[in-house]
Order: sequence, then structure tokens, then C-alpha cells
Amino acid sequence: MRRLLLACALTLIAGSAHAVTFIENDYAAAVARAKAKDVPIFVEAWAPW
Amino acid sequence: MRAYVYTDAGLERYAGRFVWLSINTEDAKNAAFLKRYPIPALPTLLVLDAKRDTVTLRYVGGATVPQLQKLLGDAEKTYRAKTQSNPDTLLTKADRLASEGKQADAAKAYDEAIAAASRSWKKFGRATESLLFALSMSGDNERCATRALALYPRVKGSASAANVSSVGLSCAAGLDKAHAKRVEWMQKLETATREVFHNRKIVMSDDDRSGLYMALIDARDAAGDDEEVVQLKHEWSAFLEDAAARAKTPDQRTVYDSHRLSAYVDLGTPEKAIPMLEQSERDFPDDYNPPARLAFAYRTMKQYDQALAASDRALARVYGPRKITVLTARADIFAAKGDPKAARETIQQAIEFAKSLPEGQRSDRRIASLEKRLASMP
Repeated sequence: MRRLLLACALTLIAGSAHAVTFIENDYAAAVARAKAKDVPIFVEAWAPW
Repeated sequence: MRAYVYTDAGLERYAGRFVWLSINTEDAKNAAFLKRYPIPALPTLLVLDAKRDTVTLRYVGGATVPQLQKLLGDAEKTYRAKTQSNPDTLLTKADRLASEGKQADAAKAYDEAIAAASRSWKKFGRATESLLFALSMSGDNERCATRALALYPRVKGSASAANVSSVGLSCAAGLDKAHAKRVEWMQKLETATREVFHNRKIVMSDDDRSGLYMALIDARDAAGDDEEVVQLKHEWSAFLEDAAARAKTPDQRTVYDSHRLSAYVDLGTPEKAIPMLEQSERDFPDDYNPPARLAFAYRTMKQYDQALAASDRALARVYGPRKITVLTARADIFAAKGDPKAARETIQQAIEFAKSLPEGQRSDRRIASLEKRLASMP
């Protein structure tokens, strides 16, 4: 439980470092959310190198 | 952009107006996305319309915060618009064609959009950058260089000037050396690139400025000006060290690792990269990049055992198409060490892995290139 809380805290910290929150590698989820909200999808295609 | 742009509070007002999707092109989970939207260069920024199942905007390359704010504003207007002007319609069509990998058709549509627009068209800079990129990707270096020369005066002093001059210069340098206009065009585009480089009013990331250094070094190299090449490389190296020293986080500092390694290797001082890469490996123990770069640095230092040890660590962490690059670099180490059998086996391993990648990540051209290399190996 302690470890889970720590993980949650780290996630929140990581999230707060960015002005926007990205969906990671899940195109279908992004499409569903964009349709529901009637907003466009911004995609950054990148690589870790 | 992850280290410097998406962290900026200036993007907060766009947060709820878009769904933000990050696509790691190395991750096999994204193979279907990559099959549908081929990504020839990184980063590529797309805005998609999920309701109409179409591309609203496409931009290749990094963006500063003001550039990204403009892209988002333009994309949102296009998404909400009931009708578009003729140049805007042609630009959207060109972005869609480019997103389908049809670079030559896209270039034609970008040119049509530019021709149809008034001189005050606000999307001129982006359309010009995209035109030159599409021409470069389709291998039409001559038209890329001539269009850069013709259009540069209209983007001079703007954020688009860096890409227009440097992509044009790269296209001119890529022409056959016997081409009658190659030298003249390179000189003109090098002058334009220097103009951008020295214009401190143009807001540009340090990463992009480093790219301009590389374009200028290549141009001087092609002109056979060895003295200036060395001078520029020293300036480039000092610039990168200063940028890295100003970084506020390890994430920001490692942005410069690959360029610094290139500069040190070019200057014949690869050993200067070792402490920086060891620090990055300590900061990011799951990242394959620091050990992969250490392997390259040690190979150029002819310290093959350290190079192989670093390559082992990189191979343990790497995934996706990048594993092919790590394996070919490992084969280079074996070849330099005088072990052709191991070099050959490593290339065979790279071919098998390349063939095993899913559609969208698998590249027939890359497999053919590896097979050609294998056939030429002892």
C-alpha cells in the first residue's frame, strides 16, 4: 500500500511537470475521448533517441 | 519538446481544447497507427479529426512554445470551420497527402496552396517548410533548393526561416557534384542560413540552433573549407556545453548528449563524451541511449572491450526498430576489433530481428540494406 501511494504521488508529480497531460500510446482511447468531447487530437510522434 | 515545451505554462489554456496523444514510434503497440500514418522524421506533430476520421494539420520538426501555440490555434480553427479558403483547403489536402506518405503529391499541393494564397497568408511559413520537407523526402533536391531560394525572402526574419534555409541548403548539398548550379545555390543558401543563425530576434530552441551549426558545417565541408569546418566545430561544441550547463533538469541536459557526442567525435576528442554519458546512464538507468552512445564513443577510442560492455547494456534495454541500429553498431565494433565472424553473426541477428517487426515498424528498405551489407562481409 505504501509503495502504491508512493507510485501515485510520483505520477502526480510527473503529471504536474507538464502543462498538458498525454495519453501514452493508445490511439483508440484518444479517438474515443476526442469524439466524446468534440475536440481534435494533438499527436506527438517521437522516439526515445 | 518533452523537456522544454510541454512543461510550459503557456500551453495550459490549450489543455482541455485537445486530446493529447503521445506515440512512441519504437513501441510495437503503435504499429497499426504507424501503418496508417507513416512517420518519416521525428518529431512529427499531427492534429487529427476523430469525428471525420481525417488529418487536420501536420508539421514535421520540433516547435517552440510560440510556434506550437500558433499550430494549435490554426488546427482548432480548421477543425471548427464550416468552410475554408482555397489556400487553406489546399494546405489541409497537402498535409493529408503527406500523412499518407505521398510526399510528391503533397509537395504539389503545398505549392498550389502557396500559389493560391495572398502575400499576407498567415500559414505561408508552415506551408513553405512543409513543401521543402516533402520535396526533400521525395528526393527532388533540385526543386527543393530552387523553391528554398525563391521563397526564403518571404520568410526572412520569421521562425520558419531556419528550416527553409537549412533544408534548402541540405538539398543543394545533396545534388550531384557535377550539377552546374550546385555551388552557386549552396553559397546563396549558406548565406541565408548564416543570416538566420545571427538573427537573435528569431526565437529558436538551442536544439534547432545546433541543427543550424550542423548545416553550416556540412556546407563548409562540401566547399572544402577545412579551416572553417574546424572553427565551426569548436564553436558548436562550446555552444552545446553552454546549453547543457544551463539545463535545469537531467531531462533537459540529455537533450544535448547526441549532438555533443557528434561534436566531440568530429573534433577527435571522443573521450570528452564519456563523463557526460556515464552521468546520463546513472540518471536514466532504463534508457538504452547512454550505453549505446558510450559504445560508439569507446569504439572511436579503439577501446573495444569497453565498447562491447556498453553495447551489452544497450542491447539489454533497447526495443523496437532502434535495436537494429544498436546491433549494426555492435557489428561495427566486432569488425574494428578484428572479429569478422562475430560481425557477420551480429548482422544476421539484425536481419532476423528487422524481419520480425510488425507491419508499420518493418522497413523492407532497411532489410535490403542489411542484406546487402551481409553479402559484402568477409
